[in-house]
Amino acid sequence: MEQPENDSVSYETAEQIILRWDATASEDARVRMIFEGDRQEINRYLQAVDRIQLSMESTTLSDDDGAAGVQGQSKKINGAIQIAMARLEDEFRNILISHASPVETETLTESMSSVHLTPRTSTSISEFPGNDDYSSRGEEDSVSRDGSSSLERGESSNTISSYRSMSSIREIDLIPADIVCDLRSIAERMIAAGYFRECVQVYGSVRKSAVDACFKKLGVEKLSIGDIQRMEWEALNAKIGKWMRAAKMCVRVLFASEKRLCEQIFEGLGTAADDACFMETVKGPAVQLFNFAEAISISRRAPEKLFKILDLHDTLFDLLPDIDAVFDGKSAESIRVQATEILSRLAEAARGMLTEFENAVLREPSKVPVPGGTIHPLTRYVMNYISLISDYKQTLGELIVSRPATGSRYSDDQTTPDMDFSDHEEQSPLALHLIWIIVILQFNLEGKSKHYKDNSLAHLFIMNNVHYIVQKIKGSPELREMIGDHYLRKLTAKFRQAATSYQRATWVGVLYCLRDEGLHVSGSFSSGVSKTTLRERFKSFNAMFEDVHKTQALWLIPDTQLREELRISISDLLIPAYRSFLGRFRSHIESGRHPENYIKYSVEDLETAVLDFFEGCAVSQHSRRRSQ
Amino acid sequence: MPPTDNQGSFLNRISIRRNQVVYEHEVEDLEQFQKHVADRLTELFHLPTEDATPSDPPETLLSIAWFRKLLDAFLCCEAEFKAVVIMGRDPTTFAKSPLDRLIPEHLDRSVKALDICNAITHGIDLLLHWQKLAQIAVDSLQQRPFGEGNVKRAKKALDTLLSSITIDDKENHHHSGKYTASKDQETIGNLRSLSYSFAKSWSASKQIQAMSSNLAAPRGGEPTGLVVPVYLMSSVLVFVMWAMVAAIPCQERTGLGAHSQIPKQFPWAHPMNGLQEKIAEDWKKKEKKGRSGLLEETQRLEKLGKNLVEFADGFTFPVEEEKAKEVATQVVEMGDICRRMEDGLMPLQMQVRELFLRMVRSRGEALDVLDQVNKITTPVPYNF
Repeated sequence: MEQPENDSVSYETAEQIILRWDATASEDARVRMIFEGDRQEINRYLQAVDRIQLSMESTTLSDDDGAAGVQGQSKKINGAIQIAMARLEDEFRNILISHASPVETETLTESMSSVHLTPRTSTSISEFPGNDDYSSRGEEDSVSRDGSSSLERGESSNTISSYRSMSSIREIDLIPADIVCDLRSIAERMIAAGYFRECVQVYGSVRKSAVDACFKKLGVEKLSIGDIQRMEWEALNAKIGKWMRAAKMCVRVLFASEKRLCEQIFEGLGTAADDACFMETVKGPAVQLFNFAEAISISRRAPEKLFKILDLHDTLFDLLPDIDAVFDGKSAESIRVQATEILSRLAEAARGMLTEFENAVLREPSKVPVPGGTIHPLTRYVMNYISLISDYKQTLGELIVSRPATGSRYSDDQTTPDMDFSDHEEQSPLALHLIWIIVILQFNLEGKSKHYKDNSLAHLFIMNNVHYIVQKIKGSPELREMIGDHYLRKLTAKFRQAATSYQRATWVGVLYCLRDEGLHVSGSFSSGVSKTTLRERFKSFNAMFEDVHKTQALWLIPDTQLREELRISISDLLIPAYRSFLGRFRSHIESGRHPENYIKYSVEDLETAVLDFFEGCAVSQHSRRRSQ
Repeated sequence: MPPTDNQGSFLNRISIRRNQVVYEHEVEDLEQFQKHVADRLTELFHLPTEDATPSDPPETLLSIAWFRKLLDAFLCCEAEFKAVVIMGRDPTTFAKSPLDRLIPEHLDRSVKALDICNAITHGIDLLLHWQKLAQIAVDSLQQRPFGEGNVKRAKKALDTLLSSITIDDKENHHHSGKYTASKDQETIGNLRSLSYSFAKSWSASKQIQAMSSNLAAPRGGEPTGLVVPVYLMSSVLVFVMWAMVAAIPCQERTGLGAHSQIPKQFPWAHPMNGLQEKIAEDWKKKEKKGRSGLLEETQRLEKLGKNLVEFADGFTFPVEEEKAKEVATQVVEMGDICRRMEDGLMPLQMQVRELFLRMVRSRGEALDVLDQVNKITTPVPYNF
């Protein structure tokens, strides 16, 4: 420690100086501050304190309690020490308060972004070759997560998100170095004189206020668990985002810097003095900070919260090594433990939400059929959701370790589908969950399709929706990779089958009108045709076709290609049959009266009409639009 | 037992019958539950007399040791409640009235209790701060003979302590988290107020009031035997929270004295009512004098602190023998309290934390059960 010369000052001189600065004794001493004055004055005072302290120690050592004189002297010295310590305490407080303005948020953000350029990393393996600086805060490398930890998704436009989340501690200077020197010189003396407790109290009080002020700037709020329970998800969502940013700064910069400051001032001065001061300063704020995350981890589970919870989980996971580094030591154990507990609860919440989601999909109760048999909002929602899941597959993949609980093939339970996963042994539990979700989606859709009065429409509905599912999977490489081609083929087969079912349901009846049997009366081949029956056939065909045409023009197949394909398929079924029928029997009609009542459609007419199908809009009687 | 739902399906009839079989055993368990609670509360109410083996530290009402015992009792009670009332029970039980209202109300209370636990944890930090201040005084006044330096030092610490203890909550709250130079300097560096962990509008007493406002004793003839245990658990919860808030410094406690009587027919009514009355009485007495709370150690600390400050104010060297003896005794006593606080407050804080975690877990489990019951699905939000 910086020692002004001791030997030259006598006890009396020293005592005089101490007494002169007794704030309880003189107005001047109370108003002026030593450490705001010139350096000489400061040194003189410190020198005086040291001299008194020296006398104190030597008197104690001499062990002369018999002599009243020594007793009296010891008492006097004691008195002087107390005055000096009281003075130093005030000075200490004053210096701290003068330098307690909260750190500018810009400084903090700068420190954070510069982190990636000059890492003092304590965790994840650096992705840039040559960046082998693993120097941490005296701890060995913590385990890093394998592969990339890129978690940009959750953080919106934050600059931090565009970098890999290299966790790193970045300390800044909260107090200029020369001031720190002064503080240390005071702390030294206070602690040496046995006034450690007072020193800690003052330090903790002032620094804690500074931290609180910083919290305010960072937008760390004081919300109760009750508040958070009642909050709308949208608002809460925003707060979580804010918290994630703030927490990183708090742990990696703010708390780390406070810790360093304590070390600078108190290290080596006494039993874990720096640790005690650090705890005194940050324990409250740290608990306040983590209480928010804790409240989130306790809140009601709802599927739409999943991804934000995962973001929060990942942030905390990344922060954990830094938390361990900054909050090392026995006294900080509760904070480390709390952080770990929150993390595991978030993981649990995420798992729970996935289950919630699955249940919600299974039980989604809307019975109103989607008009036109088009894509159900549930389908869109589910496919979007699982797309996002595939984006989060790294985190969620680690959290989801158990297979979905499918229905049993042997139960009578009609409310849950069953699924055999024996074809999917190779796939991860998360992938199985995705497949399972698609299974239950389809199961639900099957139920919904039964609300259509028209069976054909039910099939169309299934076709549309399963096709949509397939397209979505194909459109996302991650999703496709997870679902796997085996199941994808199954889905494809499913919608094709639905198409076939539709065809059968609609067109068997129509084509029945064009069948051969029953038209020929016994006997010759060409002239033995029952004209009556033939007329009826034509009439039925016209009626049925017109009805189907009118109805199914209103139906919708959103996917252009699928629409085309189905129309072509219908045409392939219908046109040749009609052409052949017409070809064979028109003469019989035309040879009778009012043929126009019976032959309403030419082949071209039918071809044109088919183009109206599944457009989702009505046909007018007179204009038959060609579709775009 | 009449079927309570209209579905005549085979499976439903089976489960009703199953409940009937279980019912006999259940009545016993529930009675035992009440008895256990009554026993524990009685222990807390009738404190050991002098002839009984004194425990160290003595479990005076509202002392740290007493609270540790109280929290322990609560944890046991909670565990038994879960085992007897929640576990292994057919979830549809909770869908029926009045449980379909009572259970969610209980869960809502536990959320408030969680916040109170956090506030108490924070309050205990303040107690530790007071203990450290008192320790300074104790250490300085242990030197013999009493010297001016030491006495002054003790006085300084005690002044800070007493200011902190007796400070008006509202007045000091405005300093927290806000740095202003000039005359606030003294307060910031000197006075450690609560620097609250919640927003200004949060009030411990309001939380307690909200928790107890809808807590009504069950009328006779309830359809299921579970209503009473739920009432019991809720009452115990409210009582424990209320007692803690009364004793330990907490944000905003006006109007805390009110409490409701437990109807006498319950075996646990007597000790609980007795405890409530005693604590409410003490609260009324102390309310005007400052907000430090009823914790026994705090009360003693305050009293001793005042005496010692008085001594320090009138101090001249040398101190006459009799006075010195008197002061010395008080210093020893204060030292004793400090030791008890130092030894007991951290474990107490950990117990509060355990309470917190236990309630979180139980709440989560109960919510899971309720979700099972709710065949009405969570509406799928199509925009997220």
